[in-house]
Amino acid sequence: MLRVQIVDDEPPARERLRQLLEEIGSVQIIAEAATGPEALEQAARLVPDVVLLDVRMPGPDGIETARHLSVLEEPPAVIFTTAYDQYAINAFETRAVGYLLKPVRRDKLAAALAQADRLTRPQLLRLAAAAGTSRRTHIAARRREQVRLIPVAEILYFQSDQKYTTVRHLHGEDLIEESLRALEEELGERFVRIHRNTLINADHLQGIERGGDGRYSVLLRGSALTLPVSRRLAGELLERFRI
Amino acid sequence: MTRQAPADGAFRGGSDSFYLPNFCASRAAVAIVLIVELTAVVLSIARSEAVDFGAQLARSSLFLLWIGLVGAALLCVLRPALARLGVQRGSLAALALLTATVAGISIATVLIGRSQLLGAAAVAAQFPRQLWPFVLRNTAIGGVITGVTLRYFYVTHQWRRNIEMRAAARVHALQARIRPHFLFNSMNTIAALTRSAPRQAEQAVQDLADLFRASLGDPNQTITLADELEIARTYERIEALRLGERLRVTWEVGALPLDASVPGLILQPLLENAIYHGIEPRPDGGTVHIHGERSAELISVVVRNPLAARGGARHGNHLALENIRERLNLIYGQRALVKAGAFGEEYIVTLRFPYIAAPGVPVRAG
Repeated sequence: MLRVQIVDDEPPARERLRQLLEEIGSVQIIAEAATGPEALEQAARLVPDVVLLDVRMPGPDGIETARHLSVLEEPPAVIFTTAYDQYAINAFETRAVGYLLKPVRRDKLAAALAQADRLTRPQLLRLAAAAGTSRRTHIAARRREQVRLIPVAEILYFQSDQKYTTVRHLHGEDLIEESLRALEEELGERFVRIHRNTLINADHLQGIERGGDGRYSVLLRGSALTLPVSRRLAGELLERFRI
Repeated sequence: MTRQAPADGAFRGGSDSFYLPNFCASRAAVAIVLIVELTAVVLSIARSEAVDFGAQLARSSLFLLWIGLVGAALLCVLRPALARLGVQRGSLAALALLTATVAGISIATVLIGRSQLLGAAAVAAQFPRQLWPFVLRNTAIGGVITGVTLRYFYVTHQWRRNIEMRAAARVHALQARIRPHFLFNSMNTIAALTRSAPRQAEQAVQDLADLFRASLGDPNQTITLADELEIARTYERIEALRLGERLRVTWEVGALPLDASVPGLILQPLLENAIYHGIEPRPDGGTVHIHGERSAELISVVVRNPLAARGGARHGNHLALENIRERLNLIYGQRALVKAGAFGEEYIVTLRFPYIAAPGVPVRAG
């Protein structure tokens, strides 16, 4: 029995999938969600095998939601549903990810479910990454049975040690498995590397201090800490903020 | 959709929208030579009883070519300045300029004929002897011909621009038609309803058909405001099926004269934009306000929608708005106004155009 979750912001679209899944049989609909965050919360709790995920949704869209789903301990296979997203479809096609065009056909849905059942975890991760061409608005962090979505704007800094990356944000701290390099590349201009292991959000930068030993450190708004700036990156940082 | 477009739409533009052709181009020079020669032929025929036709034609041609080419050179140089003066003052200035050219060259001709430079008496005999009758006659003829020619250029230019505008409006209407996303989502909705709510599905298919029929119509055809409101409501019904409670629309259109003649699809695309940019990207949806007013002989319609949350905004083209502006300008000229922009938490589009009652439709109280 394949455990399926339906995610779409439009009630009739969910109804359509429900009708078709009931006809196909041998699947169990374990949850329905109207937004990405809701889908993520359910998926962390109920661990679906397959998520039927609408690409265009308000808030974090389907593509971003798929990336967040991929950080789950047992990530589901994602099958995108879309009415007309030429660019997204191209991205899926090159990586042969499952996607369905609306109005959804029963035989296509059945075939996609059969294929999704066979995907392995590394394949799933690759597919999720391939679909994610745009910048995320949130970063997903896993906490036992839960996934927490942290808005990128609320992140103060990332700090990495050997295995994990710590995300420090306005409401606390979380661990993620992404590398600083990948985060820096994706999040772009707003985030600045100040140390081999530290990436800060420039929007929260409050000041740069020079200590007695001539080394610099930064102060971030909303955080009592100061973070050391490496000698190598100090020049770049000062140049950037014209100090 | 944050651009505040100027109210005069297609009527803005610099020297390139001025009606006089560019006389620096060789095509215009050819036209000048042609006009000059035709004038010379007409003048020579008129006077051929008195003198030899061939000699008269040659003399007139030589004289008129000077006027034509000097005039063309002046217009070539001064066209940008004339364009800045606008149509009326520019035309008067051009008329004065060319008439002065005629007078100046006439005077010069007589003076050259009187001078001793030419030597041979046979050559001097070819020149007019009396100064003022010659100059006055030429100036009068030059003024009339210049006036007629300017009028000709103006009418051709208007005619060509009208054709261009119609063509552009048609092309843009094609591009601005129903979004494919809307079509496929509606089809998906109908597929779902076919089983669970066949009556609703039936209604949705009829609504979709009406909407497409309206969008396939001639974009320059006018319909009644009542019909346009009905198209917009049809569109709302389809979107409401899909978006459920997230979509709320308030209609305050009681004051609008339902028999007003309007170009088709001026209101529905505004509602479509409001939903696409303002309601769909918001998880909790929102309300679109449509407010219509009639003051004296002007109709105004205002469509307001909440702005999408930061980051959730969709990049849209301005085709729908541009298209409505073009079509209103085509019919009402400067009297139509299309304004759009973000104000506070809302995006507001205003249409204003003159009230013209559709023929043969009884006036219904709003």
